[in-house]
Amino acid sequence: MSVKYIPVQWNRFKSFYDLVVLAMIMGFLWVFVHLVPGVLPHDPAINPQIHNMRAFGSCAFFLLTAILLIGPLARLNSRFLPLLYNRRHLGVLTCFVALTHATLVIRWYFVFSPTDRYVALLNTNTAYTQLLGFPFEAFGIFALLCLIILATTSHDFWLKFLTPPVWKSLHYLIYPAYAAVVAHIGLGAFQDQQNPTFGLWMVLCVSAVVLLHLAAARHERMISDPSALGPSDGPWQALFPADDIDEGRAKVARISNGERVAVFRNNGRLSAIANACAHQNGPLGEGQIIDCFVTCPWHGFQYDVTNGRSPEPFTERVATYNIRLRDGVVEVNERANPPGTPVEPLDIPVRRPGNEA
Amino acid sequence: MMTAELLIVLAQIWGGIGAIVAVSFLTIGIEWIDEDAQGAITFRPLLIPGIMVIWPLVLWRWWALATNQDRSTSPQAAPRRCHATVAIVLTIVISTTLLISASIKQTWPDHVPAILLEAGQ
Amino acid sequence: MKRNAPFFVGYLPVPRDLRLVLAISAIAFVLAFVIAAWAVGISQDNPGDGRFRFDLGRQTVTGVLEMRPYPVLHVIEGSKAIETGETLMLSGGGKFGVAPRANQLDDMVVNAKGILLNRGTIRMLQIGNQRRDLTAGEGQPTVPEPVNLGRWRLAGEICDGKCLAGAMRPGRGIAHKACAELCIQGGVPPVFVTTQPVEGHEFMMLADADGGPIMEQLLEKVGIYVSLEGRVEQRGSIAVFIADPNSLAVLP
Repeated sequence: MSVKYIPVQWNRFKSFYDLVVLAMIMGFLWVFVHLVPGVLPHDPAINPQIHNMRAFGSCAFFLLTAILLIGPLARLNSRFLPLLYNRRHLGVLTCFVALTHATLVIRWYFVFSPTDRYVALLNTNTAYTQLLGFPFEAFGIFALLCLIILATTSHDFWLKFLTPPVWKSLHYLIYPAYAAVVAHIGLGAFQDQQNPTFGLWMVLCVSAVVLLHLAAARHERMISDPSALGPSDGPWQALFPADDIDEGRAKVARISNGERVAVFRNNGRLSAIANACAHQNGPLGEGQIIDCFVTCPWHGFQYDVTNGRSPEPFTERVATYNIRLRDGVVEVNERANPPGTPVEPLDIPVRRPGNEA
Repeated sequence: MMTAELLIVLAQIWGGIGAIVAVSFLTIGIEWIDEDAQGAITFRPLLIPGIMVIWPLVLWRWWALATNQDRSTSPQAAPRRCHATVAIVLTIVISTTLLISASIKQTWPDHVPAILLEAGQ
Repeated sequence: MKRNAPFFVGYLPVPRDLRLVLAISAIAFVLAFVIAAWAVGISQDNPGDGRFRFDLGRQTVTGVLEMRPYPVLHVIEGSKAIETGETLMLSGGGKFGVAPRANQLDDMVVNAKGILLNRGTIRMLQIGNQRRDLTAGEGQPTVPEPVNLGRWRLAGEICDGKCLAGAMRPGRGIAHKACAELCIQGGVPPVFVTTQPVEGHEFMMLADADGGPIMEQLLEKVGIYVSLEGRVEQRGSIAVFIADPNSLAVLP
């Protein structure tokens, strides 16, 4: 967002967010690594190396679960959008926790041997045809690779460089990664535990992820943006009555070519821009106008509603649309203007006194 | 032994090419294709691991941007719309995985007796 | 977005209505993590009582070396912790077997120095890494005659004898499977832990059908509960299970 990239962007809220995430991780590890060994009655104790690899492994699983809960929570209720705001920092820290788990495993189970540790990791158990005793390490390696790709491409540079659709597609890897982690644990550690507690936590986490995702998908379908009412003439398509738009807000419609247009009402005048933010394709139409700028609900990127340009010194641009009013209904020209094209806002004829803010 | 060693060598080659791409991209390429990176030095080392991992993608985008062939797909076609499909596939995959894991879980077979099939001396 | 819902912008002060939601979310997440750590941590299974017996000090014993299927020592001159007449499985340091160093000493009297590992009746001597830790000794090299205890069908688990005996805690099961296979491939004696003892033996050193080291078919099933058929032989104080890999069945 800044004109010059810097390594890590922090602001007050991000610092608070990161502190909470650190508290989650440090709290988890402190309890698991320092408190638990003092309470376990085992004599002799579990090897500290194995104890610690379990601590970091389960911590990474819970962190991944938390990451996957945030998206649907924010879809279901916009009050949770702040959790989405800095999710990438959470992801990077999760990658470090998972890497630590992998390092501990390799440095304990795959060393002290005549075979190179990485060769040993890949080569020791290759019984891929059996479920019981499956080389579950492979799932862990796959998930870790995914997490590494996500963490190393989390800087805003990558969003702009790869473009949001490519970046977002790449970051969908979080889903195969989570599935692989479930398989990694399910065919690995879970098989050994006689005590059912960890299994129950797994079921709890997986159910929460599944249920929230299904609920969010259903919610999206129910509130999905309306289609255009239909073609008017030529490239013009009728959207919705102008009166439906609240001051400082937008209404979104899908037009016939599949694009989404957000029509904003600012000081009683209408302007239309593309619904997708140039940063992460966040839904601009769910944002608000603050100080005359459309503000994205995801990360607060701003655009002048009349030309689709971010305020100086920022350089992001979104497409604008030409609109007109016919019988109080907003009509849009389906051909988008190039990003950053100024369009004169449309006056709404005052039909009811007091309707304008 | 062959497969494992081959995989490791391939990973090393991948990383090696990635390192070369990283050095050339971060010293020359990045300033051509992103004005926000001009004069911004401190953040560049942060990109090294990412370039080493996805260097083919980096080369593709570098080429597209440097030759003005940047025909990126419409931002409106954001993958957000695959969300419902992803949710359903994820549900099926991880529920099945969990069920399979639970169904194959063994218990210590102490009910199975040791059977003498043929007496010894 | 609901009308009049508080609108959050990351770089602006958090709207008053959202502060409570955020504070509760933050506390809930931290608490959930702390509780999960506690619950998962304290519910870990007991890894058993196997351990390195550093407390007994370094052992020096003399015995007759027998190499097949894996190196064992029939002790003819014990120590405080190791009785004369006992048969000990042998391993090197880490995941190394002792075979490369012991091959030329097969069926000979040797002096062995090392650290004892034990878990219940499973005992193993980890020979030190120095050349002087395994040397030819003096005495009559009499290997005890094997006693055929019959052909059995046994249920249990194939483990590597060293991790099981306490080199790792826990040193068995599926999470530990690759490590166990690596140990066995390195020459550490595998053992079969039975659900029900055979003539008092709760575990047996495992051999393949030809009486030699175990091969891929058995190695694949390390850490899994299986049933196996084969001949059980008493050799000195331990039992050896000469198993037929084709009889292997995975138990439910």
